[in-house]
Amino acid sequence: MAPLDNVAPLVKVEGLTKSFGDNQILNGIDLEVAAGEVVSIIGPSGSGKTTILRCLNLLERPDGGRIEIDGQMLCEDGANGRINFAGKSEIRKIREEVGMVFQRFNLFPHMTALENVVEAPMAVKGADKAVAKARALELLDSVGLSHRADHYPLQMSGGQQQRVAIARALAMDPAVMLFDEVTSAVDPELAGEILLVMKQLAEQGMTMIVVTHEMGFAADVSDRVLFIDHGLVIEQGKASQVLGSPQQDRTKAFLKAVLERTPMAEENADSPPVETEESWGTGAGVDESEQIASLESEVARLRQELDAATTTDEPTTDEPTESGE
Amino acid sequence: MDVGFIIDIMPEILEGFSTTVRLFLWSMLFSTPLGLALALMRLSPLGPFRWVAGFYGWLVRGIPLILIMFYVFFALPEFGEAFLLSPFWSAVAALSVWTASYQAEAIRSGVLAVDQGQFEAAEALGMTKLHYMRRIVLPQSVRIIVPPFTGNAINTLKQTSLATVITVPEMSLLTTRIISREFNALEPLLALAIIYLALTTVLVFAQQGLERAFRLKA
Repeated sequence: MAPLDNVAPLVKVEGLTKSFGDNQILNGIDLEVAAGEVVSIIGPSGSGKTTILRCLNLLERPDGGRIEIDGQMLCEDGANGRINFAGKSEIRKIREEVGMVFQRFNLFPHMTALENVVEAPMAVKGADKAVAKARALELLDSVGLSHRADHYPLQMSGGQQQRVAIARALAMDPAVMLFDEVTSAVDPELAGEILLVMKQLAEQGMTMIVVTHEMGFAADVSDRVLFIDHGLVIEQGKASQVLGSPQQDRTKAFLKAVLERTPMAEENADSPPVETEESWGTGAGVDESEQIASLESEVARLRQELDAATTTDEPTTDEPTESGE
Repeated sequence: MDVGFIIDIMPEILEGFSTTVRLFLWSMLFSTPLGLALALMRLSPLGPFRWVAGFYGWLVRGIPLILIMFYVFFALPEFGEAFLLSPFWSAVAALSVWTASYQAEAIRSGVLAVDQGQFEAAEALGMTKLHYMRRIVLPQSVRIIVPPFTGNAINTLKQTSLATVITVPEMSLLTTRIISREFNALEPLLALAIIYLALTTVLVFAQQGLERAFRLKA
């Protein structure tokens, strides 16, 4: 889904700042997302990427800046340097349009999968019970879990719980979906089934903002990738561009660290990453083809996982160990 | 020890049984909603609510129950006729006020124990606070509240015996009468202990039932 240049952006963020105590997390983030666009946000731990998402539905209140979603103002800088927020009920209205999927699922554990999905449409939108239920079953089916409708969250695997969480967010018919490291809390072999659902959603034209460590997914599915560090957008562009031929040293160092599965040094926090002889460095002597090759193998691995997840939904790894059937 | 004597005096002690049980049930009936209200006030974002509930807990938990009973029965009527309560209702009032301060803490800790992610998920879906407290948070806290809540209830049941001091004819008062009449404390006190144990055992079973009912399905 290429962004349409002539249409007002669905999500518009200007100069977003946020600090926790002395710790400045966001240093002025600008972000525009067009309807139908899939944007992946990558960056080192603590870079502020999750905080951006959490500001978009005001789970976190920014200190400054402006957020507009679907033409509705969520917050903006007012006079005398204070930030003004929309009223309580307006915030709730905007939240109806912003679906969020959390790293730790956050399903309601005392409700079945079906009850989890119908709760908000009935409570918030006043949906008729029969209608909400039919729609919920449809959504559970679309994430491959119609056979789990009457199961409780603790009776499901992490991958299944996360897919229910996606269905729950979709049940509100949101204009944009936020995904906050949604595969980080599940076993690696179950990540594929979640990514597959997200990929299908992207193909259906859903506007998505995805904070992720899954470089394969970012490469394969997103229209645009943002690299964030120290609360600033360091680099952004087409996935192939940012991931395949990054321009900024920090982006290069991050991708190198991720693809080699080595943690970035903490000391880098306030200065550009230390260059070593064999690092990405200044461009000369960098083996880009090798880097791209490893990226491609990451993508290939993802595709395999996605295929595996499609063909075998019911089976083996998918099952919780001791479900009470 | 004379088992025959225990059996002989049992009916006389049991004349106070219904009074004891009614003291307990009325106190639970009043203290539970009051405790819930105090808990929600202490969790409120509004300062004055928090302060009032905090002050209540500090005050009521900081003084002996017997003092509250004396106060309600002897001192309160000085503020006007309307506050002149019978011994029974004075005891109910004191027990309710006292129990509520502990139930408030039991309920508050239960709400605090609910994962922050539950609040966030509910808010992200656009639910109102009233709705998600009722449908998402409180149902999950009940599971956590049950053990301390029943613990407090057991305490309240036993503390109904303090109503003796304001002449409510519950089981303990009747027992002390038997003791002074018969010049014998062993058997009457044993008989009384057996009845209290039987009652608290019922509550222990109730707790187990409630815990089963609210267990998360896994």
